[in-house]
Amino acid sequence: MTASLVETGTTPHRGSAPMGRLLGAEMRWVLRRPRTLVMLGLFALVPILIAIGVVVADRGGNGLIGAIAGNGLVLPVVAMTLMLALLLPLAVGMAAADAIAGEAAHGTLRGLLLAPVGRGRLVVMKAFGVLVVTVVATLVVAVVGVVAGLVVVGGADGTLVTLSGTTLGFGEAMGRVGIAALWTVGQLAAVGAIALAISAFTEHPLVVLASVLGGLIVFGVLGAIPALDWLAPYLLTTGFSAGADVLRDPMSWGDIGGSTLRALCYIAIGGGITTSRMLTRDA
Amino acid sequence: MATRRVWARAGMGLAVAGAVGLGLLAMPAGAGAAPELPPVSAEDLVASVIQSKDPGPLHGTVTLDNQLGLPAIPGVPQAANGSSTAQVWSDGAGKGRLSIPSSQGEKTIVDDGTTVWAWDSADRTVTKKAVGTDTHTPPEATATDPAAAAAKAVQDLRATSSVDVDGTATVAGRPAYELVLRPLPSERTLLREVRVAVDSEKRIPLQLTVLANGSSDPALQVGFTQLDFGAQDPALFAFTPPPGSTVTDAPARPGGAQQHEQGQEPTVVGDGWDTVVIATLPPADQQPAPGRDGAPDLSSLGKPVSGAWGSGREIDTAVATAIITDDGRVAAGAVPAQVLTEALAK
Amino acid sequence: MTAPAGQSAAAGERGAAGAAAAAPPAAAVRGVRKVFGKTVAVDGIDLEVPSGAVLGMLGPNGSGKTTLIRMLLGLTRPTEGSAELLGHPVPDATEQALPHVGALVEGPGFHPFLSGRENLRRVAATEPLLASAQIGDAVGTALERVGLSDAADRRFRGYSLGMKQRLGLAAALLVPRKLVVLDEPTNGLDPAGTRDVRRIVAELHAGGATVLVSSHLLAEVEATCTHVAVLQTGTLVAAGELSVLLEAGTGGLVVSTPDVDLALEALRGVGATAFAEGDGVVVADGGPPTPEVVALLVRAGVAVYEARRRRARLEELFARLTGEET
Repeated sequence: MTASLVETGTTPHRGSAPMGRLLGAEMRWVLRRPRTLVMLGLFALVPILIAIGVVVADRGGNGLIGAIAGNGLVLPVVAMTLMLALLLPLAVGMAAADAIAGEAAHGTLRGLLLAPVGRGRLVVMKAFGVLVVTVVATLVVAVVGVVAGLVVVGGADGTLVTLSGTTLGFGEAMGRVGIAALWTVGQLAAVGAIALAISAFTEHPLVVLASVLGGLIVFGVLGAIPALDWLAPYLLTTGFSAGADVLRDPMSWGDIGGSTLRALCYIAIGGGITTSRMLTRDA
Repeated sequence: MATRRVWARAGMGLAVAGAVGLGLLAMPAGAGAAPELPPVSAEDLVASVIQSKDPGPLHGTVTLDNQLGLPAIPGVPQAANGSSTAQVWSDGAGKGRLSIPSSQGEKTIVDDGTTVWAWDSADRTVTKKAVGTDTHTPPEATATDPAAAAAKAVQDLRATSSVDVDGTATVAGRPAYELVLRPLPSERTLLREVRVAVDSEKRIPLQLTVLANGSSDPALQVGFTQLDFGAQDPALFAFTPPPGSTVTDAPARPGGAQQHEQGQEPTVVGDGWDTVVIATLPPADQQPAPGRDGAPDLSSLGKPVSGAWGSGREIDTAVATAIITDDGRVAAGAVPAQVLTEALAK
Repeated sequence: MTAPAGQSAAAGERGAAGAAAAAPPAAAVRGVRKVFGKTVAVDGIDLEVPSGAVLGMLGPNGSGKTTLIRMLLGLTRPTEGSAELLGHPVPDATEQALPHVGALVEGPGFHPFLSGRENLRRVAATEPLLASAQIGDAVGTALERVGLSDAADRRFRGYSLGMKQRLGLAAALLVPRKLVVLDEPTNGLDPAGTRDVRRIVAELHAGGATVLVSSHLLAEVEATCTHVAVLQTGTLVAAGELSVLLEAGTGGLVVSTPDVDLALEALRGVGATAFAEGDGVVVADGGPPTPEVVALLVRAGVAVYEARRRRARLEELFARLTGEET
């Protein structure tokens, strides 16, 4: 009647479940969440709506949207750039809010810590879940954008006319869309890291969501005030317009690289705070 | 707890590192120590610039930092304060490419040796203009002895200015001499000094900085922020109008000259830094019909002024002042308003 | 693990007594104190949960039961004092002990949009001791054990309170455990559910696991526990083996007799403390042993119908210790 009797048939002395299994479980969890799916579905509609709007209006108007008319492969890049302003961060903020604050609110964070999932692993697991949502959301916009661009808008014989007036073949155009998607994921990952850090401090998912959206709006306002232009290099949103640079030929890497470095700094800040907080947080 | 605390501290360390990195990214680049260069006189520097050979193929980023305080004129882009950049490419043999990106599009000008193509992504138009067999060598370089020309130029400048080589600087990562022109005390001008950074090796101007009285920050700075010499991709200097674009031939006369000729020949009052240019605007009914961007409407700009010379509106900027009189004259110069009114009264 | 479903807690109780004496405690707190702001939730508690025991933690709401459990599991850091779980210091090495610990703390936490089975699979994925290939079976077994097999594929959102509680219990039982901690496990359960919890606790106990149950339902503790700890406003007011505590709290020897006066006279004659109560007299502890009392009364001509030691129900003990009416 000793305790070791009840141990039979299990793997002894393992401190934590395999990382791959944890990540798989987290991925299934984020992708099964109804609100994630609804949001992804709505995101898929945005490029289609832009495409229809451009076709109906015939001449897409000024600016980047105008560049889509008769030039469908621009659509995915423009859609990503436009949605980076608010919609994509909304999805990322929601994922980060659910990741820690939401789990705490449901009482499931306790379960994870008691399993135990080590606190360090928990941060990795949660960051991975947010990254999955980020990547999937971006890919949905990019892929639907390409398809809608080719099918609904069409034009330019499967080529992409750059903002610089040159013409890129389909392969190179896809490369540019890929770069834009990668860059978008980088910017969103920065949003996600900060959101995750906020999420680690609260039990209320709405606080996270409100902070992320409020923060983006405040950043946007600060970036628009000329007297505060010294602040611009610190603001994540400053780099949000760099995505259109993939539509230039030769590609201008300056802003893309700069904004990516800035995003990495934000990721370090957010990731560091999240880790630090989660290691000591009560659940 | 010990390991956990260590990791928690490491997390904070990472966060701090990120914040520091953000600070580093935000720091203005290139402000390194002044490079050590052999001394050179102003005359020699100017001569070497005039004599300098074409720097060969290059690619650079030119940044214009505008703190002139120009009023925002409807329909005139990039007049307001701020910085804008452009990319330039040259193959060193007369072909070139200039692209001016904006957040919403891009204007590209390609000179492929026989034709200049101007592309505007906003309305997807291409304007083309055949160029003659212009040689790109500066006329002064062939017309006169460069050393003499330089000496003459510097001498002329010294009538109203002090001309010095004032130290060195690093511009776009390249060591450069700083040629500084300052108005003599007798000059009545808003300008404090004009600095030209000259590449120490290639002897080409890298940067022009205009400093006005009363401000330590440049009112205007234009120059390379990045510059690479070396062979450029030939594809850059060719242009094929993309599908879906509208190609038009440029009008015979360039737009700049057009406006110039519509008024009467401007008169110049004074010399040196306090030169005032007075021009007469064409009567309203002769003004050109609003163009693509709409003709700038100047009637609401500035503040009303009046004096013995009449009345009009005064427009102030950091480096220049202009008065548009109600009888259709325009006086402008890098001078205080008083100098303008004196010129108008003459 | 082989104990039949109907086995009474009392049968297991005897088995645990021996194990408790030999092994180090399954869990222990020493001088723990937890302060939230100005509120002292737990104020200097020393407690050991003997290995193999079923310890019932009793106390009114707000007495610090949950806080104590949270500190024991490393969910909350004590303000002072130390805790130990299966021999590992908490919270430094909690993660070494936790794989062997099943817990249901502060109600079941699950995601409403997943079914019971999916929720459990997600928990199972995080269990270090569960091989990936075993997850499906382990989940099925746990669901069966708590009687949720039929509702396993319904969304958690639609579960009744009792079903949620059962699912929480299933999560704690996914893997064979050395220690199972159940915080208010019968909350929201119907009588059948309560019986199931009793059965499961008995099974765990029979299997050699240590169980820590907190409850404010005293009957639960009395029915299932070998050990009791009673908390009141953050302090431990009584702890020990259930049987010992019961003995210590007895109200003496109850003698049923119609001849009350005669009996009292006889008892007082030998210096024993006695008083009339109901249909007889009560002889307080400290007097002569039971056989002598009976012999004395019989000699005095008192008709003794029945003599028994009175076992205070835990409820009375609890009421007395916490100073509250039940």
